Amino acid sequence: MKTKKVWIPIFLAPAVILFLLIYAVPLVMVFVTSLCEYRLSSDHMQFIGLQNYITLFHDANFRQALANTVIWILIHCTVHVGLGVFIALILYKKPRGWKFVRTAYMVPSIISNAAMATIFVNIFNPQFGVVNSILTKLGLENLTHNWLMETSTAFPSVTMIWTLFAGYTTTLVLAEALTVNESVIEAARVDGASNFQIDVLIMLPLLRKIIGTTMVMAATYMLQMFDLIYITTNGGPGRATTNLPLLLYGTFMSENNYGYANTIGVMIIVLGTIAMVIINKTLKVGQEDY
Amino acid sequence: MKKRITALCLVSAMAVTMLAGCGGDTAKQGSSEAEGTGEEIVINYPTFQCGVNTAAPVVDQLISEFNEQYAGKYRIEKEEVPGDQNYIDKIKVQLGTGDLPPVVYGGGYNLLDLALAKDVVVDLTDAVNSDPEWKELYTDAAMTTNSRDGKIYASSSEGNLVGYFYNKELFAKAGLSGPATTWDEFWDQCDKLKAAGITPLALDTADSAWVTSLWMGALVAAEGDDAVAFLKQMTPDDYNNPAMIKAAGEVQKMLQEYTTKDAIGGKYEHAANNFLSEQAAMIANGPWMMSDFSDETKAAPGFADKVGVAIYPGSFVYDAPIQGYFVTKQDDPALEEAAIEMVKFFTSEHAQQVALEVQGMVPASSKVEITEKAKEAYPLLAEFLDLAATAKVRTDNLQATMYPNLLDVVSQELPRLASGEITPEQYCQILTENAQKN
Repeated sequence: MKTKKVWIPIFLAPAVILFLLIYAVPLVMVFVTSLCEYRLSSDHMQFIGLQNYITLFHDANFRQALANTVIWILIHCTVHVGLGVFIALILYKKPRGWKFVRTAYMVPSIISNAAMATIFVNIFNPQFGVVNSILTKLGLENLTHNWLMETSTAFPSVTMIWTLFAGYTTTLVLAEALTVNESVIEAARVDGASNFQIDVLIMLPLLRKIIGTTMVMAATYMLQMFDLIYITTNGGPGRATTNLPLLLYGTFMSENNYGYANTIGVMIIVLGTIAMVIINKTLKVGQEDY
Repeated sequence: MKKRITALCLVSAMAVTMLAGCGGDTAKQGSSEAEGTGEEIVINYPTFQCGVNTAAPVVDQLISEFNEQYAGKYRIEKEEVPGDQNYIDKIKVQLGTGDLPPVVYGGGYNLLDLALAKDVVVDLTDAVNSDPEWKELYTDAAMTTNSRDGKIYASSSEGNLVGYFYNKELFAKAGLSGPATTWDEFWDQCDKLKAAGITPLALDTADSAWVTSLWMGALVAAEGDDAVAFLKQMTPDDYNNPAMIKAAGEVQKMLQEYTTKDAIGGKYEHAANNFLSEQAAMIANGPWMMSDFSDETKAAPGFADKVGVAIYPGSFVYDAPIQGYFVTKQDDPALEEAAIEMVKFFTSEHAQQVALEVQGMVPASSKVEITEKAKEAYPLLAEFLDLAATAKVRTDNLQATMYPNLLDVVSQELPRLASGEITPEQYCQILTENAQKN
């Protein structure tokens, strides 16, 4: 037994060393440089304490990007995950054609974000896009918009691109639902429970942990979201669709302000940690079912 | 014991495999210096002028000629970096890590000033002054563009002479005989085209709004000497001036009344496509677009014959050399010398002549002759150069002088200007606030 314990750290060592080199060291660098005036145009870093953080909270662009990111996390964790769970709860009963639906619903999730963004840029194109064409054919020309470039429609239009396609959530929740012991459901039926009652009162509590996991995945997906927004609106019009990663990228690449960009990076890490804690606490992800 | 040895071997193999990717390509990175000590010096040259880029054949030819001329002494090895933005990002990252290639093409991206701030640029003053042939190629404007504090740091090969193109057939349909000479006449023409069911202007707002910015700069230039002085100012941090505000208002009108629906949010490619497919009657752009007119993958056969070229109303044309190539400081002085030779070769009269004839590029130097071969290949270019020679007002374009971070801001704010969500005054104020972040 003692011999086995010796081997555990040895086997873990390569992964730990790689983690330290590739993630931990840069992570520490991000924290350190967020406390510095550090630009491409200057020769050296200058320690300025919390000044970048003070500037950040007075920065209207940051506040807008933070609000957009938080709203997108909330929408993704509720509407997107809710939709995925809803479809999984239909499919686990194995209605006719359930396998086809399971596969077909997964297809949008395996298309690359760049391709997806390009598809939607064309769908929302104000001149020849499908959305405006349908509205015009239905005689609703007054409802046509430049969907991705008007402040009132850009945010919901971009949100639409990723919210409706919950293939990953459906697949994971469905896989878990299919492992639920049939006898539990049978017992409920014998007791006179309706399908709705079985879904809400039996299945959902049993699926709590996997739903929590998909919520964590949804939150991290939104915290990392970049390419879809960059290609469709590049954060515009104005800052209507700018999120924290896009703001970080602009600060780094356009303004060449590395210290400030890393301050935004730290805020993304903090926001991610808060989101994980809230989701884990709310859904008691780490706890046993009974 | 056997199990332990097996386990140890597995752990070692795993560690070696995982760490294998962590090493740099030291052999490749060190090639220039290593070979610099030998007979032939290798210049690693990253460039976005590759693949489908219109300048790719020119760069290939020049590299081939250089390698032939300096065989055994210097050799250029091209590193393809497709896409301008990828190239800019790469150079910025290398600037941050202090690992710049020996020769950098500054282009219209203000890379020279970023590199100068890091003190990594080789002063070319002595090299240029000691070579009368090279020095003669510098026009006054080229000297200004490539010099800082009286020292020459770069060398240009490309001129930036930009007017606009119009579709003669669409103009005729609207009863117009030719391009406008005053802005009042221009707006009148836009109204006539619109009344004839023709969209007057191909515009864009995304990817820095190149086409729309050209119109805005031309509108600013029409506001007199102070406005022209503003356009000539490098990296201004205050856009709250009457000329800019008026021009922003007029661009707002262009976006609201005289362009296609997809201009708002559209990229240069959308604007170009609208002009090439005859959906719009005018587009502002440089002579490099001329080759597209006869490219049947982009335009209908015979389209080139329908296109006319013009300078802007008020006898204005954009005329400023594009910031050229610069040499970066290297540990090996021999590599620096090789890089200087390369810059001299790439900006020589011969190189500018090749670019003119192969690509239709406007030469940076007025010494370069517009040959019959070039006129035959690009008749519109010859016509434009004649027209440009008559222009009374000349300056650099708005984007070339602005801080790089404003390019994104322009793209983000023009849609709001177009929708009326912000006023021209607010638009200029937003530019000012973002310029002052630098």
